[in-house]
Amino acid sequence: MEVALEDNNPMEKVLPPDEQEIDVELEAKEKKYLRGEGANLETLKDKKLKTQLASREKLYGKSAKAAAKIEKWLLPASAGYLETDGLEKTWRINQTDIAKEVDKLSTRNQYDIVLPDFGPYKLDFTASGRHMLAGGRKGHLALVDMMNMNLIKEIQVGETVRDVAFLHNDQFFAAAQKKYSYIYSRDGTELHCLKERGSVARLRFLKNHFLLASINKIGQLHYQDVTYGNMVASIRTGKGRTDVMEVNPYNGVVALGHSGGTVTMWKPTSQVPLVQMHCHPGPVSSVAFHPNGHLMATSGKERKVKIWDLRKFEEIQTIHGFHAKTLSFSQKGLLAAGTGSFVQVLGDSSGGGYSRYMSHSMVKGYQVEKVMFRPYEDVLGIGHSMGWSSILIPGSGEPNFDSWVANPFETSKQRREKEVHLLLDKLPPETIMLDPSKIGAMRPSRRKDKPTRGEIEAEKEVAIEAAKSVELKKKTKGRNKPSKRTKKKKELVENAKKTFPEQEHGNVAGQKRRIGEVAGAELPTSLKRFARKN
Amino acid sequence: MGGGLKRKSSSSSKSLAKSKKKKGPHLPNSILKVIANQKRPLNSDEEDDDAIDSDDEHGGDLYEYEEGVPEEESRKNNRYDRHDNYDYELPEDFEDENVESEDDVNSENDEEVEGDDDDDRHTRMLQSLTGMPSAAFEGDSKSKPVLFTEAYPEGEFNPTRDVLEGKNVLTEEDFLAPLKGTPGYQKTSKQIARMQKGTKHVVHAPLPKPERERLERKAVKGIVDEEFGKWVHLVKKNREAPTVYFNKEVNLGYSTVSAIASDFQPRTEFEKKMASVLNDSEVTEAHRDDGARLLELNEVSMEDHIKDRNHIAKMRSLLFRHEVKSKRIKKIKSKTYHRLKNKDLKNSSLGALMDPEMAKEEAMRQEARRVEERMTLKHKNTGKWAKRMISRGLNVKYDGTKAAIAEQLQMNASLSRKMNSMRDGSSSDESEDEEELNDGSDEDTPSRLIAKAKEKTLKALEDDEVPNSGLMSLPFMARAMKKKNEEANEEAKRALEEYEEWENAGGENSKKPVEVSGRRAFGATAKVEAPKESRKDSDNFYDNSDSDNDMAGVEDNDMKAVRDTASPARNTGTMTDTEKFDDVVGNPASTTTFDVAMFASGSWKKMTGGKNTESKKASKKTRVPISQAQDKKGSRDDGSEDSESEAERMVDGVLTSASKETFEIPSQEEIINRAFAGDDVLDEFEKDKEEVLNQEVPKPEKPVLVPGWGNWTNIQRKIGISKHELQKHEAEKKEWEQGLKKRKDARLNHVIISEKVDKKAEKLHTTTLPYPYTSREVFENSMRMPIGPEFNPSTILAELNRPEVVKKTGVIIKPVKFEEVNPNDEVDDEHPRNHQKQRTKKKTSKRQGKVKSK
Repeated sequence: MEVALEDNNPMEKVLPPDEQEIDVELEAKEKKYLRGEGANLETLKDKKLKTQLASREKLYGKSAKAAAKIEKWLLPASAGYLETDGLEKTWRINQTDIAKEVDKLSTRNQYDIVLPDFGPYKLDFTASGRHMLAGGRKGHLALVDMMNMNLIKEIQVGETVRDVAFLHNDQFFAAAQKKYSYIYSRDGTELHCLKERGSVARLRFLKNHFLLASINKIGQLHYQDVTYGNMVASIRTGKGRTDVMEVNPYNGVVALGHSGGTVTMWKPTSQVPLVQMHCHPGPVSSVAFHPNGHLMATSGKERKVKIWDLRKFEEIQTIHGFHAKTLSFSQKGLLAAGTGSFVQVLGDSSGGGYSRYMSHSMVKGYQVEKVMFRPYEDVLGIGHSMGWSSILIPGSGEPNFDSWVANPFETSKQRREKEVHLLLDKLPPETIMLDPSKIGAMRPSRRKDKPTRGEIEAEKEVAIEAAKSVELKKKTKGRNKPSKRTKKKKELVENAKKTFPEQEHGNVAGQKRRIGEVAGAELPTSLKRFARKN
Repeated sequence: MGGGLKRKSSSSSKSLAKSKKKKGPHLPNSILKVIANQKRPLNSDEEDDDAIDSDDEHGGDLYEYEEGVPEEESRKNNRYDRHDNYDYELPEDFEDENVESEDDVNSENDEEVEGDDDDDRHTRMLQSLTGMPSAAFEGDSKSKPVLFTEAYPEGEFNPTRDVLEGKNVLTEEDFLAPLKGTPGYQKTSKQIARMQKGTKHVVHAPLPKPERERLERKAVKGIVDEEFGKWVHLVKKNREAPTVYFNKEVNLGYSTVSAIASDFQPRTEFEKKMASVLNDSEVTEAHRDDGARLLELNEVSMEDHIKDRNHIAKMRSLLFRHEVKSKRIKKIKSKTYHRLKNKDLKNSSLGALMDPEMAKEEAMRQEARRVEERMTLKHKNTGKWAKRMISRGLNVKYDGTKAAIAEQLQMNASLSRKMNSMRDGSSSDESEDEEELNDGSDEDTPSRLIAKAKEKTLKALEDDEVPNSGLMSLPFMARAMKKKNEEANEEAKRALEEYEEWENAGGENSKKPVEVSGRRAFGATAKVEAPKESRKDSDNFYDNSDSDNDMAGVEDNDMKAVRDTASPARNTGTMTDTEKFDDVVGNPASTTTFDVAMFASGSWKKMTGGKNTESKKASKKTRVPISQAQDKKGSRDDGSEDSESEAERMVDGVLTSASKETFEIPSQEEIINRAFAGDDVLDEFEKDKEEVLNQEVPKPEKPVLVPGWGNWTNIQRKIGISKHELQKHEAEKKEWEQGLKKRKDARLNHVIISEKVDKKAEKLHTTTLPYPYTSREVFENSMRMPIGPEFNPSTILAELNRPEVVKKTGVIIKPVKFEEVNPNDEVDDEHPRNHQKQRTKKKTSKRQGKVKSK
């Protein structure tokens, strides 16, 4: 067995690899950075635009290449992995085995903290993974610095805590308590009491939009802007009470799991769900999103975990045999599921679907409440009924952090600067949509309703009135006769009248054509050219 | 045109031949001419032929076109500007072959005929040759009859029209013909032949003007195209370049202070003097060497020294005198003197600073003056004198006047300046007063407030009078009023009671009344006893799932106390093999909380004891209906509730046995409900989907026969719903189906994708394609890559975001200069510094456009 955690020493095993291999690797990375292919410029008639776009494309290619090279050569650390030889299975390896293999520093990340009186615990990590927030159901809130295992602040709020969430950094956190939810500062001072949202079951923070989303006990979804403090949206889901809520990190869409087995996705600017998916025949017990936003994992009470492709809204995989009270994707795409006192980690190493990767069983009687991978570390945090634990899952965390995105070693000055940047880059709530890459593109065509007869009549009236009120020019002598003027005016009115039946005909023709177009649009792209053209 | 001319000339020669054949006795035209002009004897036939031949040789080219005078040149009216005529003109000394033209002979006739064209003349020629009327020759070309004007037969003194018009031109051969055979003939003919060879003796007929102009344009276009063609590559390159650079190194002048200083030229007297001293070679040299020379140079003359000394002495004596004077003044003990002095001080601003009273007074006065000034504007040069001075410009002329006016303005400014000091003082005073008031009333506020409230309520109780007249006196109004009054009285009484209680309780605890106010209904006696209990009860009622809320019952003080004691009772019995307690649990903070938890939960258990079980049971019972009401399926809530309670039980397993007792076996119905929870879920989802689809793509309504509408008669009933109605419905249905098919979730049974348009998000999309784009696909594809610094390596970033024109401020953009550009070179944007030649994009492109339009 071979275990490697995130390696921070790149020079250790740089083998002289085949150049071709490198090229292939670089190409794959380049493709990732190119974000899709360029348009076919041959169809363009405008030569100037063509050359301009061509040069732009070239620049994009260059940029992607540079980025790929940077990723390949300059990023210091490589991801961890767990390798077995022979008949060994990765899921048979337990934490004690791993502890023997890994370095001293990593073993510090294996621990249980037993706090039997205030559990079960909810956990939340900051984006950088530096800080952890633990919220015991019975009112215990603890903010821990994970780097040096230092308890920064611990408070006892004296009432139920249903969920905890960090705001944009470790300076503020929100806790959903018995009646209201509250925002506390790092030192435990209560800053705000959010009364408007009622007794909240789940809290999530949308860090790009600075929105604090919450679902309360009567199934109302609230979005509150934490910069201005105004309630951006309060939506009645109409699906009953739920405590399954997760945010898609890719687009900021909030997903709720309901008792009817549906998962609904919401945005603050719409009162109806964007998508309703019927995922399970029984109640949905948890939902999780892959960091790239394309995958969603749901778990139902009927002991099934399903993986969905959110681009097609189709089920990719069903994993039988267990139901997860809590699910979580890691940065590298591992999926952790917690049930009872058992935690299972699934991995998609071969690309053929998720399969067992690792498992961990807690002491009997511990009930797992929440699993969450710690960002930028190969660590899984588990909140359970008797406190919280931390185990090592090799290959779960992103090995290289981008200090512009999330810096675990942030100084206070950097943090402050980052905060300002975050605020400047804050996105308005309407940018939350299923496909955010469509922002800036052409507006999707809106289907127009056919004007009713009454509307046409009214329009006609208006047109006739306009024609009647046209001031005729004063022409030269002889052409300015009253008879000629009246004739001209009559002609104008006639013309105005004439346009309407014609227009109606035109509309009909347009409709016909539209139907034809529709037929064309329906066909797959390869067959489109055979669509009837008018 | 040239071809046309030839044809005509050939036709003319043909006709000549024809005429010769037909009219044997008629002499050839040239001969006649010769006869007429030269008075020479008739020649033989061979000579004739020769002459004709020669005529044929040149006949086509000899045609002379008479060009009409262009309107511009005719100067018939002055519509056109005068201009020089650059058309080709024959030189003045040019001899026109000695031929008399018609112009010379009958010029007055000519003026009319001037506009005639070739055909006309041609027919006339034929006419003259054949003697037939012109109608014979006019087939296709002419329809206008021409008058036969020849009055006389042809003869020696009667030259034919041809001759007069110069049709058949005399040639050298004509002249030489009679000399043939003479001794010198050979020589002269040779000479003439040589001459002919050397000179282009025949002038071609000029082309018609439009033709000529067209040719000219053609030629010019060729040249211009060639000239501009050279620019095409350059222009193309510039147009295609993503960035155009104008940042050529250009000297923009001084960039540093020292550079400016180095160019300094002393101009004034003083500057010159300074410069002479500074640039003195001796001084600089002295500086460069040691200081000895400097000392030498520093020598002061005796006169200067004495002057200086005297000055110092004077200043000293002055100082001394002042000192002595002030000493003396200080010693004066006279009261009157001091009084007067103080008065002076008071008036001065310095005194005002010393004494606050005085300052206030002074400020008041100042304020008054300011107001007056602002009202009257006395010192704003509004006076008669000032106006007069200004209007006459005397304020500029005389210094005195100027100074006076300026002084007035100054005074105005100083008077109308806003004074802050007084305002501030007053406001601070006020706030102080307020504070004082607060301080005074702080102790007895509650009691006083209560007293006040009581008083008011009593008053309200007393004066409930019923009005005797008006609307209010109506019986039902009176009744209502009475009812209301009673209610109000009751309330007032209740309030009074409360007030009394409060008063009894005394003002020692100000918080208490606040607490009580929320629970009026409990009465005074109940509240002291069990505040915790009541709270717990309410908790259980409102929040059925939170049995652990009771943490609230534990008082803060208790917890603190426990924390202080910090008994180190560590629970190590539950540790697992993977537990690492070395530095984590060893943390004192976590252990204390642990202890606290133990203690707190213990205390809670003791306190709640048995009475909690009852409430628990009650809550359990109430829970079921509530949850069912909340959730129509009735499955979800129970499940979650159950899991919650399960977890609680598990958690509290060690600590609380009470919660276990509360579990109640669910009813049969409930169990069945739970077991078949998922059965109709799919159906329901389908229903939901149908609903949503109906909302977003409404289904067209089927036309129905409404009784009484359109089915009065039997026939109508037989026909049923009209055909066109049905057709319309069919069309609508088709459309509806299309709409359904077009939806994204058409083929996904388990998904509903809302297609509602988000109006707020619409502003994030463009309505129209931005200018150069014509295809939506291309545009959207070009938008796919972000160009910000977060998404691109810094090496490429500058290139990605470079502006279209890079230019230094202050650089004059010169017109484009020609340079050789290899058309096969690709636009190289990587090394902008390599091609820093200045070019303008717009100018060249414009020019290019012009050329192309031609």
